[in-house]
Amino acid sequence: MKPKTRRRIGFAAGASAALAMLLVLGSDAGARLHAAGPANTGHGDLACASCHVAAPGSMRQQVQAVVGRWLGTRASDVDVGFRDVENPVCVSCHERADDRHPVARFLEPRFAEQRAALAPQQCVSCHAEHRGARVTRSDVGFCRHCHQELALADDPLEVSHAALVADGQWDTCLRCHDFHGNHEYVAPARLADAPTVDLVRRYLRGGASPYPGPVRVPARTPGSPLKDK
Amino acid sequence: MAASSPRAPATATDVEPALPPPRAAKAPRGAVADLAAGRGFAPLVAVAALATVAIYLFVSAPAPLPAQAGGRPAGATISVARLFDILNNENRVARASWTADVVGAGKAAGLAFAENWHESAVEAGPLPALFLRETAGYLEEHGHGLGLFLGSAYPINTANRFAGSQVEHAAALQATGEPQYFFEPTLGRHTAMFADVAVVDACVTCHNEHPDSPKRDWQRGDMMGATTWMYPDGEVSIDTALRLVGILRAGFRATYERYLDKAAGFAVPPVIGAQWPRDGRFLPTAEVFMAEHARRAAPTLEALIRETTEAP
Repeated sequence: MKPKTRRRIGFAAGASAALAMLLVLGSDAGARLHAAGPANTGHGDLACASCHVAAPGSMRQQVQAVVGRWLGTRASDVDVGFRDVENPVCVSCHERADDRHPVARFLEPRFAEQRAALAPQQCVSCHAEHRGARVTRSDVGFCRHCHQELALADDPLEVSHAALVADGQWDTCLRCHDFHGNHEYVAPARLADAPTVDLVRRYLRGGASPYPGPVRVPARTPGSPLKDK
Repeated sequence: MAASSPRAPATATDVEPALPPPRAAKAPRGAVADLAAGRGFAPLVAVAALATVAIYLFVSAPAPLPAQAGGRPAGATISVARLFDILNNENRVARASWTADVVGAGKAAGLAFAENWHESAVEAGPLPALFLRETAGYLEEHGHGLGLFLGSAYPINTANRFAGSQVEHAAALQATGEPQYFFEPTLGRHTAMFADVAVVDACVTCHNEHPDSPKRDWQRGDMMGATTWMYPDGEVSIDTALRLVGILRAGFRATYERYLDKAAGFAVPPVIGAQWPRDGRFLPTAEVFMAEHARRAAPTLEALIRETTEAP
């Protein structure tokens, strides 16, 4: 075979392979192949479009806006391609009226130090997506950033909350208190009756719940009717 | 180190610079000749590409995208401070209705209100602070960046104590009684703080008697804390302001409906209809509750809007 013919066949094969790859990656079935990583706990069955929504406008308008921003003729940024996945996307399925620690609460000015340390005002600070876990923050003692002064007058525990704080036993908090409060669970009075910290860590990584009660408000399935509308 | 030998400084006359080696004579060149020879083509392509991109992006492009946030709204606008005044009036009226006409009168009629009201085994409704908290939660999803918070210098839960910039603004609010409007640079949000006053005896009694209360000499009329409002834009259209009022009212309604749902499951459920707890073990429907809210909020709301639209 002549070198020129061989080269042509090579180009054609390469172009065909690239086209096939583009078609596969661009299809719904192939979308998982170019995800940033495995879906987090409970998100495995979600379609990409459940969270990744096209940004407003055509690509041409978006590029126009970005260039305008560079040139100083436009005041505000725009999303390009897809909208940023921010709290409202998460809350649209995980809204709970009695969330003990709703993320928006940390936008209050007084949480400046906590924002600097943990960025708790963003869901993804603890639940970074595509990590194949439930919680991606490895430190289970993050409660120390807000509850250093915790002391209850009628403390129901055999070891008081104040003593636990004084001893720096911050890894005990999640053994009795589900952070978002979404399990039917009355905290035990004795630490010995609470789940171990290993069980809590396993749960945060995606394992079974260490809290005995059922989930109080299940997540909404994308596409189902919104509550409170 | 080698010693350097002394020598006289060189002058221009005694040093002959080395001449470059002779080069072949070049034919005179011009732009046309360069292009014809395939030289100097790259700059032309670059200029043409830039011109094409400029035409693509700005001359023949579709309408620019509207601002997602931070842009100046079209049409008649009001300042964010006035927006906060309007929203705080709504909140003041709703909190007063809830605190006095549902919680206060409801307790007298045998209804209970508690911190753990969401627990399935607890037959109770939300305390006033929790009514606000639940409404604030509704805004988280529906409020387009509008934030509502409740705090105090003497909270029952220490995690609710003011810190940072809110300490001095709360002190100024306490001293002057005037709402505090400021910009929170770390968040890029316009902010306002309004006094949260003990409107009924139940506020005072509960906070004075709670075992974890750090202050036990509250009196009716005292400023017990402050509501903090935040919003990203410094100016909003009248349409946006009214939409935000509607969203806030929807938040009140959603919170109230959650309580009605819970109350309907009590062992001895209250009668839900047109009557209020002041008449006995009754609760108004969400429609009745919100209609009364609209009636009570209307005078101040209308006055604030009139002031805004008639301002020069």
